[in-house]
Amino acid sequence: MMLVLAGTVIIAFVMILAYNSLISQKNEVQNVFASVDALLKKRYDLIPNLISTVQNYMQYEKGTLKEITELRARAVSGQLSNDEKVEVENKLSKALGGIMVAVENYPDLKANQNFLQLQAALNEVEEQISAARRAYNAAVRDYNNSVQMFPSTIVASILNFKSASFFAAKEMERENVNAGELFKKQ
Amino acid sequence: MKTFDDLKNFYETLLYNDLKSLEAYRKNIVSRLITAMVIIAVLAGSICVLLRRMEFIFFALAAGFAAYAAVYYFCTREYRSKFKSSIIEKIVKFTDPGLSYEKDNYLHEPQFVTSSLFLKTPDRYHGDDYVFGMIGKTRIEFSEIHAEYKTETRDSRGRRHTRWNTIFKGIFFRADFNKNFQGRTVVLPDTAERLFGNLGTSLQSWNIARGQLIKLEDPDFEKIFVVYGDDQIESRYILSTSLMKRMREFKEKTGKNICVSFTGSSVFVAIPYLQDMFEPRVFKTLLDFAPILNYFENLELVVGIVDDFNLNTRIWDKQV
Repeated sequence: MMLVLAGTVIIAFVMILAYNSLISQKNEVQNVFASVDALLKKRYDLIPNLISTVQNYMQYEKGTLKEITELRARAVSGQLSNDEKVEVENKLSKALGGIMVAVENYPDLKANQNFLQLQAALNEVEEQISAARRAYNAAVRDYNNSVQMFPSTIVASILNFKSASFFAAKEMERENVNAGELFKKQ
Repeated sequence: MKTFDDLKNFYETLLYNDLKSLEAYRKNIVSRLITAMVIIAVLAGSICVLLRRMEFIFFALAAGFAAYAAVYYFCTREYRSKFKSSIIEKIVKFTDPGLSYEKDNYLHEPQFVTSSLFLKTPDRYHGDDYVFGMIGKTRIEFSEIHAEYKTETRDSRGRRHTRWNTIFKGIFFRADFNKNFQGRTVVLPDTAERLFGNLGTSLQSWNIARGQLIKLEDPDFEKIFVVYGDDQIESRYILSTSLMKRMREFKEKTGKNICVSFTGSSVFVAIPYLQDMFEPRVFKTLLDFAPILNYFENLELVVGIVDDFNLNTRIWDKQV
């Protein structure tokens, strides 16, 4: 009788620990995801300044600048599904990367102090976004391990904890920015 | 970047004459030291013979060693000082003209504590061979440091025994870091994971004094280092995939258990060495090229951190 009782207490204890661990890992995933969102917003805030600074100099990239403005408007509208959001983000990253490459053709712009500051701020936020994505993937990996590994998988299946999905770099994002392609768009 | 031939040329044209005058001084010191050794040995032996007590041999030997150590220190003090001002200072300037050298100065204790690399606060702290200046856009400084803490024990008779334990001995380096950050990230040699695998990783996550365990995606980096930080995202922002690779390569290059921390907009690197790196030879000739090459390689290794960690790249918001 005592053995059964002791066994039950131990099992209950392990289950409580597993449950708490799952909850804290799930919260960590959500927390880091919120940080990714905050950093993306920081990038949206930089875009209008960037556009207004470069548009007076850039003669041949009007199309790309318009595309960036539209993509930003879509991204901040708040009406996108997660998949659409990722797609818009990827397109935005690519277009911004293209602008940074095209800057090489405009020596006056390269010497503009305001632009240089914006470029540095943008580089910084891009690197922070990349760091936040890596942190998100690490949090998801830990959480998914708990969801799929014994003994926490028992608690996860009873209480319907689902595996979370990683931030995957899409094919488009992996492509190098092609400056030639940007000019063809004009 | 200076080549071997540049150094050889520098040694032959600019250093050799200074070394020659110091070599004469060194020979004079060696003869004084030998004389002192003979006198001390004769005195210690005579005392033993006169007292006809063999049990005094131990005390005579100990006193003899202490006397010789004192003579050695006083005889070589000026020689060491002259060597550092005339030779090491020139080698520092040769390594990079943007650098300066102060033989008696060092990175002070507050910086050592700020680095958060070592959990123990030193009870005794000293150093020398301070090198500082600008490498490109990056301000750097480093010196030799010996930090120790004290432990006291009482024996059965109630007598107190003090023991000094080394926290760190070696080169302690600080440079401005090229990204803005607020918190603290510490990168330490990973002994637990190497010894115990996944169990080691679990043990590391319980290290409350160090902060959060940051598990990074580079498995080769993770095998060598363990990372603690205040913020999962910020630590990854600092430790980009390229910096992780560079740190791995730097660790291989030094072959030492290096510790790195990022705090207060600086990067700190601690490279442990058992011996002092910039001391002159006393019982061997100074005119050899090999020790000069050794001083230069040691300096270049430390100054090279700027390039190895890519600290001069200022494409982020932090321009200076």
